[in-house]
Amino acid sequence: MSENEKEGSMILEVNDLHASVEDTPILRGLNLNVKPGEVHAIMGPNGSGKSTFANVIAGHEDYAVDSGSVLYNGIDLLDLSPEERACEGIFLAFQYPVSIPGISNAYFLRSALNAVRRYREESEVDAVDFLQLVRSKMALVGMDEKLLQRSVNDGFSGGEKKRNEILQMAVLDPKLAILDETDSGLDIDALRIVAEGVNALRGGDRSFIVVTHYQRLLDYIVPDHVHVLSQGQIVRSGDKTLAHELEREGYSWLDSGDKPKKSETDQKVQEAS
Amino acid sequence: MNNEALQHWNNSLTGQSEGLSSTEDLFSTRRKAGVDSFQKNGFPGRRHEEWRYTSLKSLSEEGYPACLPHEGNLPEVDELITSSDIRIVLINGVFRKDLSDLTALPDEVRVEGFSDFRQRANTQEIENFDRMLPLSDHPFQSLGDALLDDGLVVTAIGNTDARIHILHAYDGTDTSGSAHITGMIHLEGGARLEILEEFRSQGQVMGNTRWGIHVGDECTLSRQRILRPGCDVVFHGSRVEVGKAGLFQDLIAGSGSRLVRNEIHVSLNGAGGHTDLFGGYVSDGDEVVDHHTTIEHAVADCTSREIYRGVLGGKSRGAFTGMIHVHQDAQRTDAKQSNDAILLSRNSEMNTRPRLEIYADDVKCTHGATVGELDEGALFYLRSRGVSLEEARRMMVRAFTAEVFGEIENEGLREQIIEQLQAAMPASECVT
Repeated sequence: MSENEKEGSMILEVNDLHASVEDTPILRGLNLNVKPGEVHAIMGPNGSGKSTFANVIAGHEDYAVDSGSVLYNGIDLLDLSPEERACEGIFLAFQYPVSIPGISNAYFLRSALNAVRRYREESEVDAVDFLQLVRSKMALVGMDEKLLQRSVNDGFSGGEKKRNEILQMAVLDPKLAILDETDSGLDIDALRIVAEGVNALRGGDRSFIVVTHYQRLLDYIVPDHVHVLSQGQIVRSGDKTLAHELEREGYSWLDSGDKPKKSETDQKVQEAS
Repeated sequence: MNNEALQHWNNSLTGQSEGLSSTEDLFSTRRKAGVDSFQKNGFPGRRHEEWRYTSLKSLSEEGYPACLPHEGNLPEVDELITSSDIRIVLINGVFRKDLSDLTALPDEVRVEGFSDFRQRANTQEIENFDRMLPLSDHPFQSLGDALLDDGLVVTAIGNTDARIHILHAYDGTDTSGSAHITGMIHLEGGARLEILEEFRSQGQVMGNTRWGIHVGDECTLSRQRILRPGCDVVFHGSRVEVGKAGLFQDLIAGSGSRLVRNEIHVSLNGAGGHTDLFGGYVSDGDEVVDHHTTIEHAVADCTSREIYRGVLGGKSRGAFTGMIHVHQDAQRTDAKQSNDAILLSRNSEMNTRPRLEIYADDVKCTHGATVGELDEGALFYLRSRGVSLEEARRMMVRAFTAEVFGEIENEGLREQIIEQLQAAMPASECVT
């Protein structure tokens, strides 16, 4: 593959990204390239900047981008409002989904879907068509239809909230989905159901960035690439076996600055790049 | 209020009141007392405890003291979606039979003007009427009394139900002024009424509406009051007594009125009585919205619930005063009160005063007041799903008022109210 072809086919190109929260630098020169259809896992210890990265991509205003660039399908992502990013096909599954008492899940989902469809110059869906669509997607994530009439995430269990995130993803049909610690707070059954939902959405050109602390989720959502984030930089990249290695060895080697010797997979990545 | 301004009112009252007195009727005494009381007290200033957060200064402006002409046009707005098949229209305070439709009234329900009522009523009814007229030591009641001429009497007796749409229209386009409406609602024998009271207004006008309401044993009155955008000054007072196992549900919703004072006094006089007092509003600019409520738990085993919620932008101000008075014998009272506000701007202001006076010992009384900002987390969540900032803000109005409007059974009307409030949502101050 020539250099040019590779450039053109990137869905996300993050170059030397620096970002801070309340004047505290969190991301310090992050680089990442994601191609259409790829699943990338970003792992790392607490405080390494995983969630910051996810929120910066989604456009959260509490996270200030200090320097660097993010291109999404070749356009400057940092120029876009959160809603424009969503309409362009970026989806963030929240680590802590927000509850909105007083807005039903159905109303919320339909408003979101129609906002995205308007942006894409598609016709809005009416209540009947919406219900048909959402029912098929609910089956995908094993969600009880009763949750449609309840207020958004209000009184939902941890598992229900995460399933609701995947349901929204399925309805909004994004090009790049970022899962921010989707495994946190889930028991193994809920984790499997959520992962099955994600896997059902894999395929074609849809890309995923799976942010997680633990390797466990990656048993179910098998990534193409695994990156280790430490102190706001990606310090190692590899294939799925890197996740297993981290599971065995933990992250303590990051503190010592004494990297474990490079595995074969690292070298493959290096050759490829 | 300065003397000169008050003089406008006094001259206006005396002149108009004298004009009315030439016709001999039951109300001449009340008119005289009203004139005297208003001339003595005038409008209260902000030093008056009950008017601390609401200035009536602007009523001294020229224009308000005159009475609106009896003729006027209906301000044109989209019609409310209502299940009412009975329609009562008042223009500038005058009951317009020609524009009303009373054909669907059941036999047990009467709608009359004061003149018809006066001709028909028996002594008992007139006693009730006098008793239920809102208290007179009140500036707006004094004004109303001083000009007492015609009004509206709704009587429902027996096992019957009816849905009535009352449209108050004020037309101040050609000439500004005030209209004073006194109304009475009397329910007995298990009657059930739904009243949708709509206010439309154009021009510089003050609508001064006061109701005396009797909800007899096992009767239900469900009232919804909608202030359509563009009302200038709205005073609305209600004095309500609720009998054994009676139910009085009230809701007031509005946006875009310059000055709203809603006073409501409910006395739960029979065991098993219940009242719901709900309110929701969005305000902007210099608007003032003041809800002033009193619930008397006079006897044991009654329940009450109050929820008022406002979203305030610009330099608008909100006030809530909520008195719950649990009398000594009112054991097993269950009263809940909440008042919440979202302030969208630095210069908006909310004053909230819960007042609980509890003289019984076996009661449940809760009250809560919150003043906060829009939930930024929820806004980002909505935006991250593709919803624009402005739409997300409007959705937060829907979310915030859901508890207030959730119990409106007529979905079309509920959506109309929510959409009115959403449309009044001030634009965001920050540019993103």
